[in-house]
Amino acid sequence: MTRPAKETPSTDIQVAICGSAGEGTIAAGDILRSALAEAGYRIISFDTYPPEIRGFGKCIARLRVTTEQAYSLKQQSDVLIALNDEHAIPHIGEVRDFGAVIYDGHSIAKLPEGGHVSGHLRAGQLPYPVSLRELCEKATGGNRSRNIVALGFLAGVYQLPKDAFLRIITKKFGKKPGVAEQNQAAFETGYTVGEAAFRLDDVVFGAPKRDAATRDVVMINGNAATVRGAVDAGIDCFFGYPITPATSIMERLASEMPKHGKRLLQTEDEISAIAATIGAGYTGARAATATSGPGLSLMQEMLGLGVIAEVPSVVFVSQRGGPSTGMPTKTEQSDLSAAVHGGHGDAQKIVIAPTNVEGCYRCGGKAFEMAEAYQTPVVVLLDLYLSNRYETVQFGARPPFEANCSKPRAKAAPGEPYRRFALTEDFVSPRALPGEPGAMHTITGLEHNELGRPNDQGDMHERMSKKRHEKLKAALKHPDFTHCKRFGDEGRIKVGMLAWGSTFGECLEAMFKARAEGIPCAAMKVVMLSPFPVEPVSAFMDDCDVVLVPEVNYEGQFARLIQGELGRPVVSLARVPGVPLPVDEILETIRRLAASGPRDAARLVRAA
Amino acid sequence: MAEAHQQIYLEDKLKEVRESGRLEYRSKALPTWCPGCGYFAMAGGVPAALNSLGIAPQDTVVVSGIGCSSRFPFFVNTYGFHTLHGRVLPVATGIKVANDALTVIAVGGDGDGFAIGGGHVPHAARRNIDITYLLFDNGIYGLTKGQTSPTSAIGFRTPTSPYTNPDQPLNPLLMVLAYGATWVGQAFAGHPQQLEELIRQAIAHRGFSYLHILSPCVTFDKTDKTYDRLEQRVRSLPANHDPQDFAAAMRQAMDVETPPMGLLYVNERPTLADALDGIVVKAGGAEKRARKVAKAA
Repeated sequence: MTRPAKETPSTDIQVAICGSAGEGTIAAGDILRSALAEAGYRIISFDTYPPEIRGFGKCIARLRVTTEQAYSLKQQSDVLIALNDEHAIPHIGEVRDFGAVIYDGHSIAKLPEGGHVSGHLRAGQLPYPVSLRELCEKATGGNRSRNIVALGFLAGVYQLPKDAFLRIITKKFGKKPGVAEQNQAAFETGYTVGEAAFRLDDVVFGAPKRDAATRDVVMINGNAATVRGAVDAGIDCFFGYPITPATSIMERLASEMPKHGKRLLQTEDEISAIAATIGAGYTGARAATATSGPGLSLMQEMLGLGVIAEVPSVVFVSQRGGPSTGMPTKTEQSDLSAAVHGGHGDAQKIVIAPTNVEGCYRCGGKAFEMAEAYQTPVVVLLDLYLSNRYETVQFGARPPFEANCSKPRAKAAPGEPYRRFALTEDFVSPRALPGEPGAMHTITGLEHNELGRPNDQGDMHERMSKKRHEKLKAALKHPDFTHCKRFGDEGRIKVGMLAWGSTFGECLEAMFKARAEGIPCAAMKVVMLSPFPVEPVSAFMDDCDVVLVPEVNYEGQFARLIQGELGRPVVSLARVPGVPLPVDEILETIRRLAASGPRDAARLVRAA
Repeated sequence: MAEAHQQIYLEDKLKEVRESGRLEYRSKALPTWCPGCGYFAMAGGVPAALNSLGIAPQDTVVVSGIGCSSRFPFFVNTYGFHTLHGRVLPVATGIKVANDALTVIAVGGDGDGFAIGGGHVPHAARRNIDITYLLFDNGIYGLTKGQTSPTSAIGFRTPTSPYTNPDQPLNPLLMVLAYGATWVGQAFAGHPQQLEELIRQAIAHRGFSYLHILSPCVTFDKTDKTYDRLEQRVRSLPANHDPQDFAAAMRQAMDVETPPMGLLYVNERPTLADALDGIVVKAGGAEKRARKVAKAA
């Protein structure tokens, strides 16, 4: 066991809080990250919890506190707060050497032998037994604020800015009379005890960065950032049906949209949600719905109608463990195939997937531009990890979205029927909206001619199929949008990673570590998944001895997509742990591939 | 001589139709229905009703699902959306929520509305969205060549129930009344003038209006809901029927042996748009809403 190098001036600390559902674990994590974000730190934070609201399921709140931008959570935590012995014991292992474990020295219930955290500490991990319940009862007369006492203790030990915590506590509990005061008292008590505690560990919080770059920084999760993007892009109508983990998109829009004079309706199911979205899109409104995998399955037929009738719509899909009801509160990236290839017929649509919370904002707004410009459904793929993960994000002063991307309409020739599906050079037809005189027309899910009238002749189906596919190619050059981007080493590299969605953060962290070990390495994020950016991805692959595709699904859906689009081999690292891919596992695979060389790698590909 | 009179009569009639403005609502596409189909009554009734209400073709959207009756949008010169099987009401809901200024008419058959789309009817009705739903009930799937539908009679023989239909037919009128529709009427395609008048009233009603239209399928139903048999069974509502009396409307709707024609029930309550506007006011967005609506107009 070697003591880690003396701390750098920059902060990089991960705190995990582990408890049972109903013990305020997630609430404590929320207060901690909010207070530290307000103090000026950068945050990445992700909570895991069981599908049941109460009961005794395990909840973990994890947050990584840094002064520089981080891209994922760390493999190891520096501090663990154990609110519940049974649930925390399996997680003691994630605390690094010389890290701290804060736990209740006097458990609530009489625990069986070996049931207490203290019996499971590893040599080198430094214990802080605190009488959480006793302190809480003394401070508040009850034991419901044990979580806040623990937070206070943490803040006291590490001398975190007390005012920020008290402000956040007031904000969070201010609406309930007496509760804010009770929690403030609990916090103060914990803080006093923490301050006086004898420091054993080497966890050091450096000073937060309080410069111009961090001034307008907001702490926000993926779903909230998506909503902000949608609102900034001028969303007019939203139709939705609750489903984990997409529900908070609808909830937030339900409170935001009416403030802007916009309308939201909770529909009877996902089919009607997408149907109404497409109905609203037909009138020219910027309309959206949000769902998860099961809802996406229900929406597929209607999305096909959106494709053939060329109606703009936006569908936010936050993926979770599948198939069927699967694992509603666990993350997964297994709806890629359904989003890109789902539905019957040749029904290509636009599919984009942000890789971080800021990306959720951009995709949340840009999706409306693309839907309008290319007259098609746009699916924005999030996942539970991205939807629920908090990051500190800096927003610009002005929204980077265009208010109108519709193709200008040529005047209808008087007496002539309106050619809604006129074949044009760029395959996008001018679109008249209901209410405009002289341009009446009917759109349909039947194959049709330029007038929109049913037509099932082979040559017409050829022409119209081509129109619907070719027009999407322009989306690959959609202005002010990052379709894909390379990070890391330039030029020839040993191992290149192609990644999409939330997993890209872990890939970046793994890449930085690999480069630090001297492995020439790069990673490319692919944000636009349909139509596929064949050229830049192909150019990237030209530079790589071997291409690794890490993702959180069993089938290697992204790897298959790449192989299908490019016909080139990749190594797939596809796993379904229900949580983000461990950075160390990606790193280990990089090391293995780098050591094996291109020829062996090719063998590995075949083996995979 | 008789022929000459006939000619003059036809020319006068044609002149009358031309001058009425109804033709403005007619599409150049010709209906694809079988000769004698009950749906021709809608092709005449909807344009006439819109014309007499002074609703311009460009301010009208006719939405439909899938089925014979759902081909209707192609045959009118308004905006139209021929959607998916069973999804006419949610699409119509989206259109109306996005643009209050449009007159939205949803059209469909019994299979579209009460089999595959049955889950949407209660919600359109309870929300009281200001659209008109014209449901053409022929008790059969005509477009797929005559299979059993949810309003087919017990004992009805079709290719999907060759040993006769074992299932109790639904009573759509009772259902929509229970769901909270604020205008419920019934008409017979064999009485086009009454149908036209009821379509007019249904469109004029502010809220969710449901018009149930008994409409024979002359090609696939030779035994049950034929013109002859329906003509014998349909009756007018009693002269003293009070359409504001919900219980009386339910009693009338229960009579499937001698179906009553006319306006069964009408009631005024806030529409979905009223409710959504109320939410905007509560949230403090009324000013922004007014600006948006003014800009759209």
